[in-house]
Amino acid sequence: MSDPVSRLVATAQGDAIDDPFRVTGVMMQYYYVCERELWFESRNVEIDRENASVARGARVDESSYGERSQENLRLGMIALDLLEDGRVVEVKPSSTLTEPARMQLSYYLWYLDRVLGVEREGVLAHPTERRREDVSLDDDRRDKVESAIRGIHAVVTADSPPEATEKPYCESCAYHDFCWI
Amino acid sequence: MDKNYHIFSDGRIERSEDTIRLETADGEKKHIPVEHAEAIYLHGQIDYNTRLMSFLNDHGVAVHVFGWNDRYAGSLMPERGQTSGRTVVEQVRAYDDPEQRQSLAASFVRGSIHNMRTNVTYYDSREYKLGGVIEDLDDATARIGDTADISELMGVEATARRAYYRTFEAVLPNSFAFDGREYNPPPNPVNALISFGNSMVYANCVSAIRATALDPTISYLHEPGERRYSLSLDIADLFKPVLTDRLLFRLVNRKQISRDDFRDEVGSCLLNEEGRTTFLKEFEQTLERTVEHPTLNRKVSYQYLLRLEAYKLKKHLLTGESYDSFKRWW
Repeated sequence: MSDPVSRLVATAQGDAIDDPFRVTGVMMQYYYVCERELWFESRNVEIDRENASVARGARVDESSYGERSQENLRLGMIALDLLEDGRVVEVKPSSTLTEPARMQLSYYLWYLDRVLGVEREGVLAHPTERRREDVSLDDDRRDKVESAIRGIHAVVTADSPPEATEKPYCESCAYHDFCWI
Repeated sequence: MDKNYHIFSDGRIERSEDTIRLETADGEKKHIPVEHAEAIYLHGQIDYNTRLMSFLNDHGVAVHVFGWNDRYAGSLMPERGQTSGRTVVEQVRAYDDPEQRQSLAASFVRGSIHNMRTNVTYYDSREYKLGGVIEDLDDATARIGDTADISELMGVEATARRAYYRTFEAVLPNSFAFDGREYNPPPNPVNALISFGNSMVYANCVSAIRATALDPTISYLHEPGERRYSLSLDIADLFKPVLTDRLLFRLVNRKQISRDDFRDEVGSCLLNEEGRTTFLKEFEQTLERTVEHPTLNRKVSYQYLLRLEAYKLKKHLLTGESYDSFKRWW
């Protein structure tokens, strides 16, 4: 079984396979933000935790929804922020990286559907900006998620990380200095 | 980067509310703002308890202890963020691969000599004539690539450093005679200053390394375990000319440090408390000094350059991207 998507599904369904493959929501997000960061994360390359924007992300997750964030739902490889009227809500501190967040949420919906056989709608929420956006899994998104899974597999199994490329948000990344020294 | 705090007096440090309180033996009380502390250096006899250690751990503050004759006695490091089995595995792999170890060690030597050379050319361009030393250093650099093993490389480094120390004699006034580097114990004021300054560079490198999950005992130029934190010795060598030597020249030539700042004992000479205070005040200011970084596109402090060096090494080990040691560029 060499297709990463089938391997992921088999792994998630608890099949005993020789080459298990896991993708978390955060990995999906990183794949769209920065493949180099994804490689670092996959190898546990940890860097300065005092970095301000990393701390900020953690804080918003914890504080914005108060008690409700305790309901963080862990389902195998994925962990959903919260369920609201049966819809999957993904909380993000700001809307600067909307597409990666949308893909992370799309992956959750795909996972629920494909692995657990549950159809759900999604909501992307930016509480600090009082913004919400509906996300649903159409064929187009489904294809995108599956090709992303294959892309993630290629990145994390490579011996070295993809070269650093300058992006507008490099400045605020925890790995900034690590990449550019 | 945050600041280092040095404590010379005897006494006690403890957690007090949400900060650190120092109570000296003569009853004086001082506060150290924990949120601005990078590390605390204990030079006197200090009592502390586990409650303080947990507090410092929560705030990521290291403690470096110096014992008799300013000898480095050890560090209490925050536990957070400094464990990564994979990093250590890659560190050991690089050590165990003769080619990779040689290449890393060569890079350390190349950087060290470059940084010595920068000091020599600086003083050579002023009234001192140090041209011969520059040639010696360039000869040493040219030999780096031909070395077959670490001991040859160590030899090249030692030759370069001996040539480099000849400039001290020329640059410093007669009252600060320097007849080569000696330590354990330092026999004269210049050696005392070098020893003290280098031990501060070393401890700052320990902090920088420990902030990255690199294991400070696995090194490339120096033999691992030769001394406790041998990776710190590898990295410190790069920075001694920048942090210790330049400062030493300045303090002596501007007469900020005089013969009165030392105490002589049988066969040894050490900075007295006043001398250490003067030196450290200037040393800490040097660490806070900033320089425009060529690829980060912002100013970074000298202290942060130590951290960056550890990052560079870690990046090389984990990604296979090349490591190029710190060479002063300004």
